Amino acid sequence: MGTALMEARAVGKSFDSGDVLVDVSLRVERGEVHCLLGDNGAGKSTLIKILCGVHAPSRGTLRFEGRDVVFASPREALDCGIAAVYQDLALLPLMSITRNFFLAREPVRGRGPFRRVDWRRARAVAQGALHDLGVDVRDPRRAVGTLSGGERQSLAIARAVHFGAKLLILDEPTAALGVVQTTRVLRMVRRLRDRGLGIVLITHNVRHACAVGDRFSVLDRGRLRGTFARDAIEVDALQDLMAGGQSVDAWTRELG
Amino acid sequence: MRPSEPADPGERPFATGSQPSAQGGSREIPHALVTRALRRPELGAVAGLAFVTVFFAFTARSEMFSLGGMVTFLEPSAQLGLLAVAAALLMIAGEFDLSIGSMIAFGGMLVGVPLVHWGWPLEAAVVFALALATAVGLLNGALVLRTRLPSFIVTLAALFILRGATLVGLKAATGGATQLRGIREAIPEGHWLMEVLAGHAFESGFAALAARGWIDTFKSGLPKVQGLPVEILWFVGCAVAATWVLRVTRFGNWIYAAGGDALAARAVGVPVARVKLTLFCVTACAGALLGVMNALDFGSTDAARGTQKEFEAIIAAVIGGCLLTGGYGSAVGAFFGAIIFGMVSIGISYTSIDQDLYKVFLGGMLLLAVVLNHVVRHRALGAR
Amino acid sequence: MNRFFGALVMACLVGVAARATNAEQIVVVSHGQANDPFWTVVKNAVEIAGRDMRVDVVYRAPETFDMVAMAQLIESAVQQEPDGLVVSIPDADALGDAIRKARAAGIPVVSMNSGGAVSADLGALFHVGQDEFDAGVGAGERMRQLGVRNLVCVNHEVGNVALDRRCDGVRRGFGAEVRVVPTPANTVDDVYAKVKATLQADPTIDGIVTLGASNAAEPTLKALRELGMLERVRLGTFDLSPRILTAIRDGEAAFAVDQQQFLQGYLPVVHLALYLRYQVLPGDDLATGPGFVTQENAAAVIDLSARGLR
Repeated sequence: MGTALMEARAVGKSFDSGDVLVDVSLRVERGEVHCLLGDNGAGKSTLIKILCGVHAPSRGTLRFEGRDVVFASPREALDCGIAAVYQDLALLPLMSITRNFFLAREPVRGRGPFRRVDWRRARAVAQGALHDLGVDVRDPRRAVGTLSGGERQSLAIARAVHFGAKLLILDEPTAALGVVQTTRVLRMVRRLRDRGLGIVLITHNVRHACAVGDRFSVLDRGRLRGTFARDAIEVDALQDLMAGGQSVDAWTRELG
Repeated sequence: MRPSEPADPGERPFATGSQPSAQGGSREIPHALVTRALRRPELGAVAGLAFVTVFFAFTARSEMFSLGGMVTFLEPSAQLGLLAVAAALLMIAGEFDLSIGSMIAFGGMLVGVPLVHWGWPLEAAVVFALALATAVGLLNGALVLRTRLPSFIVTLAALFILRGATLVGLKAATGGATQLRGIREAIPEGHWLMEVLAGHAFESGFAALAARGWIDTFKSGLPKVQGLPVEILWFVGCAVAATWVLRVTRFGNWIYAAGGDALAARAVGVPVARVKLTLFCVTACAGALLGVMNALDFGSTDAARGTQKEFEAIIAAVIGGCLLTGGYGSAVGAFFGAIIFGMVSIGISYTSIDQDLYKVFLGGMLLLAVVLNHVVRHRALGAR
Repeated sequence: MNRFFGALVMACLVGVAARATNAEQIVVVSHGQANDPFWTVVKNAVEIAGRDMRVDVVYRAPETFDMVAMAQLIESAVQQEPDGLVVSIPDADALGDAIRKARAAGIPVVSMNSGGAVSADLGALFHVGQDEFDAGVGAGERMRQLGVRNLVCVNHEVGNVALDRRCDGVRRGFGAEVRVVPTPANTVDDVYAKVKATLQADPTIDGIVTLGASNAAEPTLKALRELGMLERVRLGTFDLSPRILTAIRDGEAAFAVDQQQFLQGYLPVVHLALYLRYQVLPGDDLATGPGFVTQENAAAVIDLSARGLR
């Protein structure tokens, strides 16, 4: 199988409020969509924040591309090739697609105080990068605010990929999207997997997870309940696990 | 089959920017140009300027649009414009500097007192004024960033503090007066910095034109325009520089991002704090520079200079299309906004409209310009 | 909305119509804001003079005490080549260039209210205003006539040269030593506190001259009332305010020195019109003050003050 792209070994995290993560170990391979499932408060957000350098783990280690790594800041993780796309997408709605795409990484020409950003080339590059991922943007000068939720999600992902993400972490990418847009985003995720990226996908929605996931890890109150390969588990069983072990039927009956 | 409507939504990549009436390449290009023009933040200001010009064309004496007349309203426009362009940059970054008006008086004092009472050379006095202004700007910015208080409040406090400091400083220096005189006498004749910061440019050129009869003269024979006030050149230069920064540099992109959503910008790696600190220094220096230029031009300064200019600068920037909430706007818009302001405030004296109506008039004009701005932008941003 | 546009159209029509006359055009530029009651009198006087002399008058002033804006208003007036220009000169340095340009353009200039000492150098034909020193002399003389022995002059704005000259004049007119009492700041509270303290420290004071009405005389009156000294101490002040006028009418204050700013608006327009038509000019500056408001004429002045004419 070779070295995993990213590995978390016995990672634990404690805040003043208590233990948020306890003894979590998982691997993400290249060319794999690894879904991270769990109810609210399970610790999914904290885990991905550790993976991309926002928090340091209280216990345990991380390995990236076969080497132990310690991230002092998200920038260091980014430089390694670990990119996270959170729910707010870090997009500025009043600015154009191109300006958003190249924010903080604008391509410059010239020297000294006369350095210019080559916006023409930037537009072409942005358009091309988006096209590669199946997004056709007729006018990259449009404000991001005029894009739909799915288009914005695709833009945020395309930006992360273009700037060298090897491991892509997506936090609830389909939460606010309708059916058609969800399909498109998930299709893009699959395309990226086929290119060899490792993808960690957090979602509430088991059906979405099952549509694209290769492996599934379920977190429950800070602990890993298990990691399952695609063919090894049923949708309903996953759902039960997410709900904390209690069968969905049982509490449906409870609700009457 | 129309290319923008895929037969199977599952198969085709989705296209953004699809227009319901798009029927092929050739019709889209002019449409795109018009849409892009409509989306520009300056459009409202240009429309406002056209409206104001037409209004005065009908109601004002013809001298208003003679060369001499235009200079009389372009000069106050230029003075306000220096402030408005700086204020626009800061507003796009999501902050306000209300102390910019008081800084005019403060800057006038900082250049006047060393010249007249300490015997400093002009260069030193000017550097002194700008250096202290930069320090104040840094302080403003640091306070805003550290305390996370709205910059409106922090710089409002600075407005009062600077105004009071100017009053106290002038009285201390002059032995009790609120006006400082004698600035011109303290500067040697023909000083190079005076040519740059005060007076008129191209005087010999204008004199030659007048001799040829190309410039009107008064009945006494004096040419109506002796030269181009230096402020106008500074104004144009600053507007050009600010536009260049906003549209074509990395820093400009960061300004838009810092104002649009500081958290998102920081998350992506934009040095938001550095951007804002820099812009607070820019506004402080703009205020001080104008104070210096006025002091040198008029040979005196007083504690009341620049009163209310901070609001006028913000209004000019807003007329020019800057959003009060930040993240959107342009320096060119502030340029046109300042011209509108100057035109309206001086233009009334070319009409027979009673002076008492001035405030009503100014407010009405500004309201019209801003509403126009809003309508145009609403249409433009909403269109797909 | 429609009424607004109607008013706008009317303004345009007025603007167009006004250009049609060929009466002389006189522009008045002052430093007094539109909402200042002192300057409202001047503006009204300008308009009355315009009607009386059948000239077109325009009154312009900046919105705040802004010398830069005032200079720009003078420049824009000059561009329109009026037949005559009237200006106040609170800052000769700031306004000097603009006034000199008006003279170079051949426009006759008359100054009023302030800048009497410098207006001739700038090329004004003459000055219309109150000489502060002479007004002070008048006030001092009046105090002497009232039998005052120990007079103080309260200066509420140290550093204002005009006020200094007023107190100097008081000293000359009174003929004996007059103590100048400066207040720490020019707010009514500071004046009140300082005057009260001064009176308590020296009970032989029987006359006070203040240099402003609402900002200095009124708090002084308040102090006198509270100390029960209204009968014993004579209060005289420069300039008018409704409350001071009432106090004079009721006998609580002795007099007010009125610079009669109405004349500062009226006379320049009249004389410019006469100059333009008949080439006649006053031989010297015109003193509009001091006029004195006493118990005899207070009632009439109160009435005129309410109409914006005093």
